[in-house]
Amino acid sequence: MHKLFLSCLKATELIEKRIHFQLSAKEKLQLKMHKAMCSACSSYEKQSVFLEKGISFHKIPEYTPEDLQELKLEINKKLAEFES
Amino acid sequence: MRKVASGKINLSEWVSNYTEDLYSWAVHKVSDTELARDLVQDTFLAAAEKIEGFKGDSTPKTWLYSILNHKIIDHYRKKVKQPVKVENQVFSTFFDEGGDWKKERMPGNWNEDDEGHLLDDVEFQSVLKKCLDALPDKWNTCVKLKYLMNKNGDEICQELDISPTNFWQIVHRAKLQLRNCVEENWFKN
Repeated sequence: MHKLFLSCLKATELIEKRIHFQLSAKEKLQLKMHKAMCSACSSYEKQSVFLEKGISFHKIPEYTPEDLQELKLEINKKLAEFES
Repeated sequence: MRKVASGKINLSEWVSNYTEDLYSWAVHKVSDTELARDLVQDTFLAAAEKIEGFKGDSTPKTWLYSILNHKIIDHYRKKVKQPVKVENQVFSTFFDEGGDWKKERMPGNWNEDDEGHLLDDVEFQSVLKKCLDALPDKWNTCVKLKYLMNKNGDEICQELDISPTNFWQIVHRAKLQLRNCVEENWFKN
């Protein structure tokens, strides 16, 4: 295979790399060329970006004032054990 | 047992003043109330142990936060170093030897135009969550780290002491699996 042509495995790796890091100029070109020819990887990219959005919407778990009170008691108990 | 000669410092006062902030911070950073509890407890125990080192250069709150943040990073460091059994099977599941998609695993059509509404859909959210939870622990953590830590890839790698290549390869495997799971359980259903 020509050096500039990526496999789908490599193309999807670059798609993921780009979400967290910068691609080099060569990598950008390689990915662009690959996507122009490969509709599966183009779909993959859209879906992957979409999933990132979904992941970023994650809900922070909730806790009650009672949980907090219980935690304080627990910590004080542990500290008392530690100090004795 | 060593007596904590804390001088004027009253740790239980710190507990009543700062536990809430520390706990809320930890819950946001690890997205797990049980784990956050443990981390905050450990933070106060560590504070008690090295209370002599607290010189009052910073506020107690800042000092406690720095201990807690170390504990959070430590937790993630351990997590990203966990070995994952299925690590090498993922690529052969999705790609043939030449690195092309296997026909049956090729990304299908998600009707991308409707995707905007999907993120508000409770049922879709629950499928996504199930698929995230089904990932090996380490992968699950790695795909969420960016949003939990609010940091970019380079910063994450620096803090967790892993190489960028290592990190995006973990994310790559995780996303292949996650994408497939969401497709199987939502789009094909």
